[in-house]
Amino acid sequence: MSKARRTLENRRRLTLFGLLLPPSAFLAIFFLGPLAIMIVYSWLTPGLYGGVEWKFFHLNYGRILGWADTKYERFDPVYFEIFLRSVKLAATTVLLSLILCYPVAFWVSRMPEKRKNLVIFLITLPFFISLIVRLFAWVLILRPTGFFNQALMGLGLIDEPLEIIFTGTAVVIGMVYVFVPFMFLPLYASIEKLDLSLIEASQDLGANRIQTFFRVILPMTLPGIVGGSIIVFIPSLGNFIGPSLLGGAKVVMIGNLIEQQFLSARNWPFGAALGMMVMAAVLVLLLYYIRIVTREERQADGPNVAEEVAA
Amino acid sequence: MRRKMSWRNLFLSVYGWLFLVFIYVPILLITVFSFNSNPVNMMIWQGFTFDWYRTIFGFPTELNELTLYVESTDQLYHAVLNSLTVALITTAVSTVLGTSVALAVARFRFRLKNFYRALMFMPMIMPDIILGIALLIFFVSFGFGLGLHTIIIGHCTFLSSYVFIVVSARISDMDDSLEEASADLGADGWTTFKRVTLPLIAPGVIGGAMLAFIISMDDLVITYFISGVDSTTLPVHIYGMLRRGIKPEINAIATVMLAFSFIIASVGLYMRSRKK
Repeated sequence: MSKARRTLENRRRLTLFGLLLPPSAFLAIFFLGPLAIMIVYSWLTPGLYGGVEWKFFHLNYGRILGWADTKYERFDPVYFEIFLRSVKLAATTVLLSLILCYPVAFWVSRMPEKRKNLVIFLITLPFFISLIVRLFAWVLILRPTGFFNQALMGLGLIDEPLEIIFTGTAVVIGMVYVFVPFMFLPLYASIEKLDLSLIEASQDLGANRIQTFFRVILPMTLPGIVGGSIIVFIPSLGNFIGPSLLGGAKVVMIGNLIEQQFLSARNWPFGAALGMMVMAAVLVLLLYYIRIVTREERQADGPNVAEEVAA
Repeated sequence: MRRKMSWRNLFLSVYGWLFLVFIYVPILLITVFSFNSNPVNMMIWQGFTFDWYRTIFGFPTELNELTLYVESTDQLYHAVLNSLTVALITTAVSTVLGTSVALAVARFRFRLKNFYRALMFMPMIMPDIILGIALLIFFVSFGFGLGLHTIIIGHCTFLSSYVFIVVSARISDMDDSLEEASADLGADGWTTFKRVTLPLIAPGVIGGAMLAFIISMDDLVITYFISGVDSTTLPVHIYGMLRRGIKPEINAIATVMLAFSFIIASVGLYMRSRKK
């Protein structure tokens, strides 16, 4: 009997091994490997004509963060400014999509079941539509000869087309449009779970609407707010497609800078260092998110945003 | 009190419908103006035409050659073919990889379980551009040579984790007593897997595979970095077209892509409703 159990145990172990070996090998080589080598690259010397020399070099970071005063080069804060501007644009995108989605999530959560499913489907459907097509739509709308300007001029509100495309505003509009479904799902998940009796209790105890909102509703939907914000912030920060189509050469974000380093300037170590800056920003945010969620979970079972979005 | 409530509901409804308008008007505009015959300003309606569609499908048109962008439809077809090849292979590979890890994590006890969970979440929260440049550095420094194979490898790294998450969600809803019953009744591991586990997780696996297919077809950022000169996919091709100049044919291409997305999404929704 115990021998039979042991063979069963062995067989299970073999199955587990068989299940895990291919994905582990694949991800170790093609996911962890590339990440490791990118980190190494960010500390290497850029070669004169592209490529790298395998010598330690800390000025890739110095050029961004401020200690790059060498014989050949003075420190130029332009790279750090681009980084900050990207953070600002991504944060604006997050804020706008949050303001846009919050009431909508409330609206949907009050619907009868059947209609609710339809509307959720309608809101998430753009996720299945190609990103480039959705950005292209806004190029058509915002161009000087585009739909928006034509409409305003047709109504006689303006005489000359407004310069919207190739500004930060255009980039933010495009990114909000593209990433708004990511904000909706986690927000909806946490608003759906709201316990209405707590809101009633708050009102019964004499709180007015504004107090109820800020003291009860907002804290209870915080995991959804933070989760949605992070899921929108991450792709916005490193985005270079939106900025290059809607921002042109005028709105350079860190994503464009990285793209240039890899595909035209061919300074890969510097590009890798810029990439590490983006990674660092993302990691800081994730740690913050984990802190908020674990704190919430200690109080109640909070929603797992990543899973909500994937499902 | 009652009156106030209804004012708020009215506000929410109007706001909600406006939100849906915001989401759908841009898409609608592309579709409508893809039939516009004005070759100079595509946003001023001049008349109805199928010419842009004729152009992208390679039929003769009466248009002035100068107003055309798609010099050869061959390039476009080539890109579509590349996209389909990549998406099909990627879907097959990442579905197997992702499902394996999901099964291992859900059905076995082992020490590195949390490590695997974290590992499978990492590609999802990583900005695309980071994975793109990391893979580019890796492929070039190890002499892989950029091409369809590198795009496929690149897509599998992050799509495995999408499949993992969808399948895991399905398994966690599942009753594992059925598998125990099967084993108790004398079925060996493989039979149990084939007869019990697989049919139960099948909707999750299919859902994960469809998601992987859609994202692979649509991926631009990662593909942009790791595609070779003659291995462009459809999104990369369109991005190139847009960067060189906006021409009316792009409307037609975009509309065809929209139609495909709607079909795939509707099939997905239909299957989900049947599952329930």
